[in-house]
Amino acid sequence: MHLSGTFLLFWAAGLTVHVVLFSVLLVRHRATMFPVFTTLIAMNIVNAIALYEIASHGSKHTYFIAYFAFAILDLGLQLSVTYELAADIFCPTGTWAPDVRNGFLILVIASLAVAISLACLPAPLESTLLGRLLDRGNFFSSALQCELFVGMIAFSASASLPWKTHVARIAQGLGFYSLIGIMTEAGHNVLPFNTTLYDTLTYLRMTTYLVCSGYWIVMLWMNAPAPQELPEETRKQLFTLQRRVEYDLRKLRSLKR
Amino acid sequence: MIAIRSLYFFSIVSVFLLSILGTGAYFYVQHRQRQKYPYGKWENLLKRLGSLDHDHIALIARDLVFEPDRQDPDDVALDSDQLWQFLGGMQGLAVLERNCTVLVDLVFYVQQWYPEALLIAEELRLNAREVQWHIDRLRGAAKTGKLKTATPDYLQQAVAIYYRMSCEVLSLYEQTNLPGLADLQKAL
Repeated sequence: MHLSGTFLLFWAAGLTVHVVLFSVLLVRHRATMFPVFTTLIAMNIVNAIALYEIASHGSKHTYFIAYFAFAILDLGLQLSVTYELAADIFCPTGTWAPDVRNGFLILVIASLAVAISLACLPAPLESTLLGRLLDRGNFFSSALQCELFVGMIAFSASASLPWKTHVARIAQGLGFYSLIGIMTEAGHNVLPFNTTLYDTLTYLRMTTYLVCSGYWIVMLWMNAPAPQELPEETRKQLFTLQRRVEYDLRKLRSLKR
Repeated sequence: MIAIRSLYFFSIVSVFLLSILGTGAYFYVQHRQRQKYPYGKWENLLKRLGSLDHDHIALIARDLVFEPDRQDPDDVALDSDQLWQFLGGMQGLAVLERNCTVLVDLVFYVQQWYPEALLIAEELRLNAREVQWHIDRLRGAAKTGKLKTATPDYLQQAVAIYYRMSCEVLSLYEQTNLPGLADLQKAL
């Protein structure tokens, strides 16, 4: 399979950025905080090397099969990353915030329904089943990720959660990439394969991913701002109030008996 | 040439993108507002206060507090119909419910200068929950057609607690000498 110079350039840049990001995750001990995200980055490194090898030495059909397999794995991992981020934000102690749990479930179901409907809309251009599945799958993935991240932004804003933590930074990068992804994949679904415009959209998507990866490298290398702490006096007051409420509650319970 | 189906597809995707961007922008602006005014904006707080007749509220509350044998000159025994009339019906009850939250927020607002007001805010939050409990009972009674019998038990209690809460907020603003006191007195 022949690979163009531009494609090789993007391939090399992508591999370099992924290796650097993976090193940052390991060196700065972020891998333990975000194991699924680290797995996604590691998978992307394997993906880049394996696809290059297959493209250089294998047939076109083998390349597409491998590409499809990695795309499914990538989608699964991206969705798992979304869950990992949501769990980190809304379930830090192991219990989901009760006012968010139902809302998040509704968001996931509604996002799935909208993403599937959108992915079914365009008329298929690809003649092969694999090609059609890839185009629609990519579009579905972008739409779903985008909806989920906007939903998470909405929940975070409603709950006044900080936006400068590492979790927020990963979510911002993924959300932006998905937003651009919707536009490029919408184009891929209606434009014929191997045209200049089709390739331009592919490069636009790759460039966006490189920019997002660069953002993650910088943000994950830096330390997140320390969370604000309650003043000692206020903490004492709250402690006293809690004790009082506990006492009142015990008194009420004894009255009930 | 672009097929009709593709045109539809692009139109729907554009609408989808715009709604996604719109939702994101709305929450981003909300987040920025919260960062800029972590204790809320005074004008917005006052705007959220619904109008209730303070004299009537005081009358209902005092009717519960003063027993008839105390022979208070202002003392009156109110029946169910009068209570609802003074409060403004179910609409008045909804306003009272919303105002309880605003009263808590008004004390929270004071915390930016007096952090010790936190304790009063927490007390008011508990009071607001108590009022909510009484209101829920009244709504339940309205559904089962027993509103008249439930009114003396729950309505007066709710109004009396609300009255005490509003007095506490006014007294806090008076003690701390805040510039918004006159506006607050007018709004309450």
